[in-house]
Amino acid sequence: MECSAGEFKHRAAQKLGDVKLQAALRRLQDKFVDGRAAALAELDGFDSLADAAAAVRERALADLDGYLLRFEREAIARGAHVHWAETGADANRIVVEIAAAHGVRTAAKSKSMVSEECGLNHALEQAGIRVTETDLGEYILQLAQEPPSHIVAPVVHKSKEEISELFHEKHHTPRKTDIAELCREAREVLRPAFLGADMGISGANFLVAETGSAVIVTNEGNGRLVTTLPRVHVVITGIEKVVPTLEDLATLLRLLPRSATGQAITNYVSLLTGAKGERDPDGPEQMHVILLDNGRSRLLGDELQSILRCIRCGACMNHCPVYQNVGGHAYGWVYPGPMGSVLTPAYQGLENALDLPHACTMCGACGAVCPVRIPLPDLLRRLRERQTERGLRPWRERLALRLWAWTAKRATLYAVGTRAAAWLLARAGGKDRLLHRLPGAAGWSAGRDMPAPPGRTFRDLYRERGRR
Amino acid sequence: MRVGLFVTCLVDLMRPSIGFSALKLLEHAGCRVVVPETQTCCGQPAYNAGDAKAVRGLALKFMEEFAGCDYVVAPSGSCAGMIRTHYPDLFRAEPEILAELEPLCRRTYELTDFLVSVMKLERVPGRFSGSLTYHDSCSGLRELGISRQPRALLAKMPGVRLVEMRESTTCCGFGGTFSLKFGDISARMADHKCDHGEATGADALAGGDLGCLLNIEGRLRRRGNHTTRVLHIAELLAGEEGQD
Amino acid sequence: MSARQRILARIAAGLGHGAEAGANGAVDGYIERHPRGPVPRRAPDLVPRFREQAERLSSTVLEVPAPGPVPAAVAAYLAAHGLGTETVCWPDLAGLPWAASGVRAAARPARAGDMVGITGAFCAIAETGTLMLLSGEDTPATVSLLPETHVAVLPAARIVPAMEDAWDLLRAERGVPPRAVNLVSGPSRTADIEQTVTLGAHGPYRMLIVLTGEDFDDV
Repeated sequence: MECSAGEFKHRAAQKLGDVKLQAALRRLQDKFVDGRAAALAELDGFDSLADAAAAVRERALADLDGYLLRFEREAIARGAHVHWAETGADANRIVVEIAAAHGVRTAAKSKSMVSEECGLNHALEQAGIRVTETDLGEYILQLAQEPPSHIVAPVVHKSKEEISELFHEKHHTPRKTDIAELCREAREVLRPAFLGADMGISGANFLVAETGSAVIVTNEGNGRLVTTLPRVHVVITGIEKVVPTLEDLATLLRLLPRSATGQAITNYVSLLTGAKGERDPDGPEQMHVILLDNGRSRLLGDELQSILRCIRCGACMNHCPVYQNVGGHAYGWVYPGPMGSVLTPAYQGLENALDLPHACTMCGACGAVCPVRIPLPDLLRRLRERQTERGLRPWRERLALRLWAWTAKRATLYAVGTRAAAWLLARAGGKDRLLHRLPGAAGWSAGRDMPAPPGRTFRDLYRERGRR
Repeated sequence: MRVGLFVTCLVDLMRPSIGFSALKLLEHAGCRVVVPETQTCCGQPAYNAGDAKAVRGLALKFMEEFAGCDYVVAPSGSCAGMIRTHYPDLFRAEPEILAELEPLCRRTYELTDFLVSVMKLERVPGRFSGSLTYHDSCSGLRELGISRQPRALLAKMPGVRLVEMRESTTCCGFGGTFSLKFGDISARMADHKCDHGEATGADALAGGDLGCLLNIEGRLRRRGNHTTRVLHIAELLAGEEGQD
Repeated sequence: MSARQRILARIAAGLGHGAEAGANGAVDGYIERHPRGPVPRRAPDLVPRFREQAERLSSTVLEVPAPGPVPAAVAAYLAAHGLGTETVCWPDLAGLPWAASGVRAAARPARAGDMVGITGAFCAIAETGTLMLLSGEDTPATVSLLPETHVAVLPAARIVPAMEDAWDLLRAERGVPPRAVNLVSGPSRTADIEQTVTLGAHGPYRMLIVLTGEDFDDV
């Protein structure tokens, strides 16, 4: 997917004015934030579980090569093929080659953010393979030709009325207003796509090194269909998704759905290990697992390494007050919200996403809800520091901050400066004691007044008091 | 007990009454308060903007100014959080500095936390009468765990009726330089805070961080609300609200 | 150098250890031990807990004393929901007296158009009201997936407290997982449109779980 994170400010402004989007985001917040809170309240303690989950992910990362090799060995022993891809383009090429080798003309796909990273659908279409997204949300987006705006609820930005209109136009069916009817229509349209597909493509929420299994966590059942019916199953996933054991998987599964949608468990958790055996009546004849790097290995040993713990639950974006107000499309790449504001600069280049690490009030809500304890605010701050170190911040901002810090170290000068500022601001405040315009701080005063100060600094008043 | 008052740059410039209120409360609690005259700013704006280097000098200056204090107290969760949780990170590779700085950081408290957790304050001088809603500022809440402390102190004021607003723990949109860089998003976040605050019908909205309060009050006034008072918890507790 | 070698080399360099991580004893040793993380403490009564959780997930749960009465219970459920009497079932359940209750049970994998699928389950997990289904020669995965109604039959004694217990059972009885292990928790659902939960996305619309008091060995 093309990265347009550089347009964050402009896009965010548009999204703030989009009334329908605002209503949709409000709904997301109500369902997912409250749902998570209720689901976690049932556990004995979020903290001990999150500590354990973070330890599981950290253990996997600390010996990532070892666990990947063990995964590969087990998967091959069970009849799967394992491929390694350095870039998204490499992954696409591998999928196209597998398709060509097995005479694949149609593919059915379950939701995979990694495939969005690669732009896989486009590559398959270029190769003459018809690909159908089968997750309801992703299917709607495929019809609308839009990217997802949330990693768990990809079509959160659309209302049922818009979806109804879209189905009417694309399916040539009467308009439906009932959500259940819309879902049934999609089910009926998509069933032939599952039954007729030569290839099923899925992501993986986790890879289990112990057993060589790919794990898919879904609710709709489309993930099961695309990994059961077509003769070829291709898993495309990131190298960081490996976990050591089935017990570790159980620990993470207690937190992933709860953090994501407020469910204690999703309807389906499928552990897929190898291709169909000689006596199996169903299942794919071929199973291929593509392990994608695409920038991940560079984060190992780096200060940003902990972002590789991410299990893609979306809790950080659900709780982010910036995401809650601008939605996912403003962020300009596959991953939005706090985790995206770390991943986009990490994978797409610091200079291509200058605003993202700053589009954050440092409120800390993301870090507090992260089930694998990723210190997201610290990572965002570290990215800001890198921008500074690499001279990527505007010179005026740099100068202002340096001047401030320089002055703040010189108490006498600082006292003179603040004395003058207090006097000036108090005068400018006028009768209502509000500053309606702040020269040089239009970002503030376009939407807010500034309560004017009384005119004398604490420092001066305190000294005076001491003399009295 | 010798307590250093870290006034904070925003209070010094924009609302000195908060500093005097904090002073009064600390003295009321029986502390011997010192106010180092050379203090300026904790450096958080530069730190969060990605210029950690610029903050090191300020951290050393802080260490020198407050060296002899048993405790340091600030009427701000955000500045206390900066000192307590982030200052030590600036000197991880310098054990000699860290040995002196870290204990001082650990003894740095946000005002209400200090009054409740350390001083176990029984009575407060404030006499505010009316309904209040409380905004939980982010740094104080998530870095220092400040939530019950201000409420416990408000509960000691018989005239106060606390009406909790929806999403009291959601950021108001201030975020320091965020409010300048992303003014439109910031103002929208402030809007939600104003909506929730107004929905309680409270006479006043209170909080523990002046930055947030300026943001919320600025938005309230721009929206045409000139009646809801916006007060710092220190002013309320000290009975100094409405004074400059 | 292959992509595989380059990726592994970058990982090893990033982690600051040698390129021979494949021989890393720590990895195999940890997997050999596979310690459990924190498992939530639950009430010791597995059947009520399982039932409560499964019902929360919109499944219907019936308890019968022995496998013999299962077909009659299923027949009554199908009749009450107007679901007909044509079903497809796992071959390893074909021995139950289906015909005597008027249920036609075709023992084969499911196909498009099958309306009711009857399966067993390897075990069930009380913590979350989950069934664990293993694919295999006599347990085709499609039967629990393609039909609009999924009926699952298992002995109540196969309910274990937590997912970790299910993995232990899998290791003990099967060694390694079969091609597909499916943890099924209620009928399929989606909340993609306006975050409104709707049952029956691509899998079953409804689910009946029949718990039997005795094991199937006598059948």
